[in-house]
Amino acid sequence: MLFLTRTLPLVIAFSCGVLAIAIYYVPHSAAQGMEEKLTLWLRIVAAFAYFLGLYSLLNLHWNRIRQHQAGWGYSVVAAVGFGLMFFFAVINDGDGPFAPQAKQGAYQWMFDNVQVACASTMFSLLAFFISSAAYRTFRARSPEATILLVAAVVVMLGRVPIGAYISDLIPEAMLWLLSVPNLAAKRGILLGVSLGAIGTALRIIFGIERSYLGGGEE
Amino acid sequence: MKALDIDRRIIFIFVFLGVAIPLMVDFTLPIKPTPPVIAAYDAFEKVAAEKPGSTILLSFSYGASTAPEMQPMARAVLRHCFRLGFKVVAICLWPDGVGLAESVLAEVAEEMGKKEDVDYAFLGYKPGTIAVILNMGQDLHTAFPVDSKGVSLAQLPVTKNIHPLTDFSFVFDFAAGDSIEFWWIPYGQEKYRFPFAGGCTAVMAPDLFPFLQSGQMLGMLGGLAGAAEYETLIGHPGQATEGMRPQSVTHLIIIAFIILGNGMYFLSRRSSGQATG
Amino acid sequence: MTRDSYLFIGFLLLFAAVNAALLATGAIAADWTGFGVILAAGLTLSLYSFLYKDNPLYKFVEHLFVGVAAAYVLGLVWYNTLLAEIVNSLILGEGKDRWSLLMPSLLGALMLTRLVPRIAWLSRIAFAFVVGLGAGLTIPRYISSFILAQMEPSLRPITWSIEGLNLVIILVGVVAVMVYFFFSVEHTGVVGGVSKVGIWFLMISFGASFGYTVMARLSLLIGRTQFLLDDWLHVMK
Repeated sequence: MLFLTRTLPLVIAFSCGVLAIAIYYVPHSAAQGMEEKLTLWLRIVAAFAYFLGLYSLLNLHWNRIRQHQAGWGYSVVAAVGFGLMFFFAVINDGDGPFAPQAKQGAYQWMFDNVQVACASTMFSLLAFFISSAAYRTFRARSPEATILLVAAVVVMLGRVPIGAYISDLIPEAMLWLLSVPNLAAKRGILLGVSLGAIGTALRIIFGIERSYLGGGEE
Repeated sequence: MKALDIDRRIIFIFVFLGVAIPLMVDFTLPIKPTPPVIAAYDAFEKVAAEKPGSTILLSFSYGASTAPEMQPMARAVLRHCFRLGFKVVAICLWPDGVGLAESVLAEVAEEMGKKEDVDYAFLGYKPGTIAVILNMGQDLHTAFPVDSKGVSLAQLPVTKNIHPLTDFSFVFDFAAGDSIEFWWIPYGQEKYRFPFAGGCTAVMAPDLFPFLQSGQMLGMLGGLAGAAEYETLIGHPGQATEGMRPQSVTHLIIIAFIILGNGMYFLSRRSSGQATG
Repeated sequence: MTRDSYLFIGFLLLFAAVNAALLATGAIAADWTGFGVILAAGLTLSLYSFLYKDNPLYKFVEHLFVGVAAAYVLGLVWYNTLLAEIVNSLILGEGKDRWSLLMPSLLGALMLTRLVPRIAWLSRIAFAFVVGLGAGLTIPRYISSFILAQMEPSLRPITWSIEGLNLVIILVGVVAVMVYFFFSVEHTGVVGGVSKVGIWFLMISFGASFGYTVMARLSLLIGRTQFLLDDWLHVMK
């Protein structure tokens, strides 16, 4: 049983990982064909992964409703919203769920008038909080904080037309800040992040990193 | 000092007025395009001159939460592409970008007299991010067997002769997340070396400057300001240009708050220092 | 009744009155499109009520959004992948090629066994495939596009010009930032000095990111305000 639950997955991860690396360096058409097949498989498996997240969300709200936890009424609202949109998706503007997705209909209407409105409004709320935070907490307490503050002000002024209206030097300074010191820092971070990602990928392939196997009995 | 503990709702009111009033009052501010945006514009022009009537790929990797920034950008780029005579193939790598991509394609195509399937095609969304790009690298028809209407790509005039990604003369990604940096560049542009540029939300823009310098990206539109600059370059001011008025005013308001907050802070430190000293 | 209750009722009455006026004057059409605009405006203002304080109306709309968004993605996954590729190709399709979809479909089904505790161990096979393949795809591409392609422009020949000076600054900055993130050596002496320079570069970068983030969030607010003032109230010129 240990072979099936632990050894076999590690062997699969190792094989797939080494195969993917080898395919990259082998220009033969057979290798390229294999890459096409494997990535097609990856794409289809990724679609199934969505259902895990969906189950998690629905299960959370269902438990809240069943156990009458605090705020369970809102979980009913989430369930109603889900049910309504699901119903419209199935109806598919009268064509049913086995025809290509309709471009009109209630499903699209709900997206345009509920999802777009709510999603963009939620994120736009941050504009208010970032402004409030800038006033209350953005302090030049140290030389480093001062550098950060000055850079932020130069970028905020330089990125909008009013900066150029005040002085041509402001957008020039903004461009220099972004394409020289900012670039250097981002590149340093990128190099570090990619080295870390490569290290983690190697650990996964060699079976040292096994956290992705979580779930189920050993 | 009491001014430092001001009710944040007063700040909210200032921010809202800073946005609302400039939208209702008409005044112009000259918009000067910056080098990354000019580079993206020039890249499109160059490809159009070298390969007239060729097919380009637009990837919509944003959703409803960033629509106010990205939709004006998509409109401007799409207008430019249609004006240059490109055939456009559009895909979505983010699920909730489908409705947005469809609406902007339909709107601009109707405005410019372009026909679906002949001048442009919308292939819809596929989950899998990097796997989709790798699939497209080999064969577009494997990644997207049918378009969003269920019609086989082999039957569409726009896509029937397009197979690997290198058959596209240009690829442009509209990115709300890290699709440019961690999907398109390592899994697409790195191997197939197609001309590539991108438009992103302002949050992502500073992260992409290393790729501009290395040549992995030919140009970049950053946020609503980038969209406004592109509208200026194509001579078609729109929602982004309109948005630069409130953007300018609110930036000044926030800078004023930062300076005021720091001024109050240093004054309060000096007065408490004098009190103890 | 509390003050907040009065505010809530007042808000609802004002919203209803404004919409009635807009419908009566024909500014908003009395059809599904017009109703959609009114609904979107109502949802937007309900979410903005959070700026006053957290309240039941905000929570109601927030949870509604969560449910609608989850079902929207479900619809897309069904129509774009499961129906188009598995049902129409594998199950209803013809030809030998379609059998190549059987294996990934089985792997996908194995992934779903994670939801059943007794057979959840089967999902490890699917996860091992996804994670192992992903790791293998990552390594050579990250080396090529992030390490080699990013190091080359940092090491270009330096000239006696502004561009040359900028290249020197970039090189110094990249090295300094990487030294800062190297925690295996204590940051004292020369290493400490270089690390300090790295912090300055990072502060400039974070300041630039903050400035751009402010711009991004304000752009979203501008977009929503444009919707409210133009598409809904029709007061913009």
